[in-house]
Amino acid sequence: MNDKNSLENSISNDKILDRRDFFRKTAALSMTAIAGTSIFASEAVVDDSAIMHHVPWGQKWGDPVTKNLYGMPSEYEHNVLRRNTELLASGNYRASIAVTPIHESMGIITPNGLFFSRSHGGVAHVDPNEYRLMIHGLVEKPIVLTLEQLKRYPSVTRTHFIECPANGGQEWRGPQFNSLQFAKGFMSCAEWTGVYIKTILEDLGLKPEAQWMLAEGSDNSEMGRTVPVDKVLDDAMIVWGQNGEALRPEQGYPVRLLLPGWEGNLCVKWLKRLEFATEPWYCKEETSKYTALKPTGQAVQHFYANEVNSTVVSPSPEIPWTDLKNGQLIEIEGLAWSGMGTITGVDLSFDGGKNYVPAKLKGLVLPKCWTRWSYMHTYKKGDVLLLTSRAMDDAGYIQPTVDQETAVMGVESVYHRNGVETWEVTAEGKVNHVQIRS
Amino acid sequence: MFKLDRKLIISASVAATVALLIGGCFTENAMASSVLAKQQLTIDGGIVYPIVEGKTGPYYVDESTLKGGYTNGRMPTANEIKAWDKDVMADGTGLPEGEGSVEDGEAVYEAKCVSCHGDFGSGSGSYPALSKGNAVELQKTLKNQRVNPDADGPVRVFGSYWPQASTLWWYIRDGMPHPMSKTLTDDEVYALSAYILYTNEMSIAGEEVDEEYVLNREKFLKIKMPNVDGFEPNIAGPNSLQGVRKYYANPLNFGVAKIKPADRCMKDCQKPTVQVSRIQNGGISDFLPPMSTVRDLPVVEEVANPQDEAKKIYEDSCKMCHGADGMGAPVVGDKPAWAKITDKGMATVYKNGLDGINGMPPKGGADLSEDKFKSIVDYMVNTSK
Repeated sequence: MNDKNSLENSISNDKILDRRDFFRKTAALSMTAIAGTSIFASEAVVDDSAIMHHVPWGQKWGDPVTKNLYGMPSEYEHNVLRRNTELLASGNYRASIAVTPIHESMGIITPNGLFFSRSHGGVAHVDPNEYRLMIHGLVEKPIVLTLEQLKRYPSVTRTHFIECPANGGQEWRGPQFNSLQFAKGFMSCAEWTGVYIKTILEDLGLKPEAQWMLAEGSDNSEMGRTVPVDKVLDDAMIVWGQNGEALRPEQGYPVRLLLPGWEGNLCVKWLKRLEFATEPWYCKEETSKYTALKPTGQAVQHFYANEVNSTVVSPSPEIPWTDLKNGQLIEIEGLAWSGMGTITGVDLSFDGGKNYVPAKLKGLVLPKCWTRWSYMHTYKKGDVLLLTSRAMDDAGYIQPTVDQETAVMGVESVYHRNGVETWEVTAEGKVNHVQIRS
Repeated sequence: MFKLDRKLIISASVAATVALLIGGCFTENAMASSVLAKQQLTIDGGIVYPIVEGKTGPYYVDESTLKGGYTNGRMPTANEIKAWDKDVMADGTGLPEGEGSVEDGEAVYEAKCVSCHGDFGSGSGSYPALSKGNAVELQKTLKNQRVNPDADGPVRVFGSYWPQASTLWWYIRDGMPHPMSKTLTDDEVYALSAYILYTNEMSIAGEEVDEEYVLNREKFLKIKMPNVDGFEPNIAGPNSLQGVRKYYANPLNFGVAKIKPADRCMKDCQKPTVQVSRIQNGGISDFLPPMSTVRDLPVVEEVANPQDEAKKIYEDSCKMCHGADGMGAPVVGDKPAWAKITDKGMATVYKNGLDGINGMPPKGGADLSEDKFKSIVDYMVNTSK
């Protein structure tokens, strides 16, 4: 962090709203700077060559605008990548997941190239000209649509996260990943464009006895899931747009189902068919997997919404505090999300959940969407901290402790773990993933 | 302020109140009732954002777009519906006639499935297992919790865990073999189902599925899975949605906590018994690619010659099956095995590789040009001379 930012942070941290106060404060800061206290770092010993020399890109032509007609990130960003690990390979990385580097995330939108990628038979490459969507079963009038016809419906644009319900699911029995990307990166957030299914159903005439909808993909695993009509008639969408462009193949190009807030697996990609019936289907991914086994021996099936959850993003194992100076003012920043509503607050603990203080929400706060939160902290070199965040939503839910959650779900349920997460900040400023539990 | 153990009790009473509200409002079809809007929960236990004054939550809505009247698309033909409506339901809807024996199933399994699912469906590497022994016995492990490192976990394979056999038939027909799905005949699917029932030591209507067993549609519909009653909430029957709504209205059912914000604990919230639980044995850190937050120029991997490139592709895409015994594929370096193959002539070797043979999909499932693929075959053959 450079000096300018430190100054801005210290100003914004004090609740100065009025212009006159601002000048007074600035003057005071200048005074202390002159007096040589810790507001500014001491003068550099040698002149910085990045300043003292012409930089190579400043003295020659850049690329013509005709290059990279679809833009790419800077080459220097090449480590900002989705990642995988053998544990999640399921053999040959076809029925597998590549997770999002959320330690590098900014704001509440995940760029399309970094959106986590989960498939059950590999990423299908669908020819949009051969794309068809069929809706049939318990409707008065079944329908088949081409992609162009589907996109003729009035569009709806919504910003929602999608989360694999196995996010954090490898850590029911204790922490395993010393990494934010792997501990919480089975999720991403994007602005989606499509049509409400209820809009299409207006003309098809859903029969009153219809209780369930099968959503089926056209990929080689014919990925299917059963959806209750409640969700279909509430906010379920058929989407073709993601962050202002067509869906990426990894997200089901050209069309996927979007059930805001619900398990990513239910948001069927490469969507080809919706069928309505009185009885549910028993698809492979709602029986053999995506069912949460409890200590009673009973498993929760049709486990829909991803519950209220949060994490500290900075610091994290990938973004440690090893470079901080004693007394440096630093923002603790995080994400909170709930598939059941809108985030209403986040608390932060410095002692692993014994005592909490309220953090501040930042920016847009939208339903079933990533929400940024923040807490300003003065770093004390040598302090050992246990940073735990705890989010709440407007449906009335609050993140449970690890003990509270495992008391009901045990340690074998794999899915829907939303107990509070803890980072240990060591005396050196390194960050370790730990859990606070009995 | 109160301590953690009291939270659950309070959650329970909140849940009871919520459950009453839900029961009332949904039977009266109050999906958009503004009176109850505040308290109304969705089927998942979440909140509803009805359209109020042209907005749902923070989003404006053009309500005139929601009224229908669209003429997009067309009616599918009966044949089109038939072509796509092939799902298999628990009551047998969609399950075609056909038959297959355990013996035939074993033959298909050995040819097309063993390379991933292992001998007797026991799994291999990180590919899923299909059976681990007697299904009825293993169903009893579902209460197992690995609360200490030595404890046995629950066994969740087809026989011990899945609630319906229809899932097996449907998924084999549509999703298997994984690299070339939808290539099995209905009889082969019956045969493979029979073989998997056999390896799970299951019975149908009191009759053991032994090596002689022949499965058909009629018998298939009599399969009762040992764990059929092992799932909640109940989703079967004409009023099942009512039950699902009620289930998710009670936080105690699915491990979540509810509380009024003002009542949440802010000070001294922990039991004295809690400890810091740390990552054991170094944890998992074999990330692909390795973790890095450095901002520098990427190192360009120079491919020196075609032989090196072929080796690299082999290692990335082929070694999985051709690098280890027991995967059913000839192992690179196994001279006698490859001599037998090259005896057929290189034209045949190329053709089999390009078209796929036994458990191997066309080009081994790799996305390669024909010439590139042949260069990999050459590499594998030359390395095995």
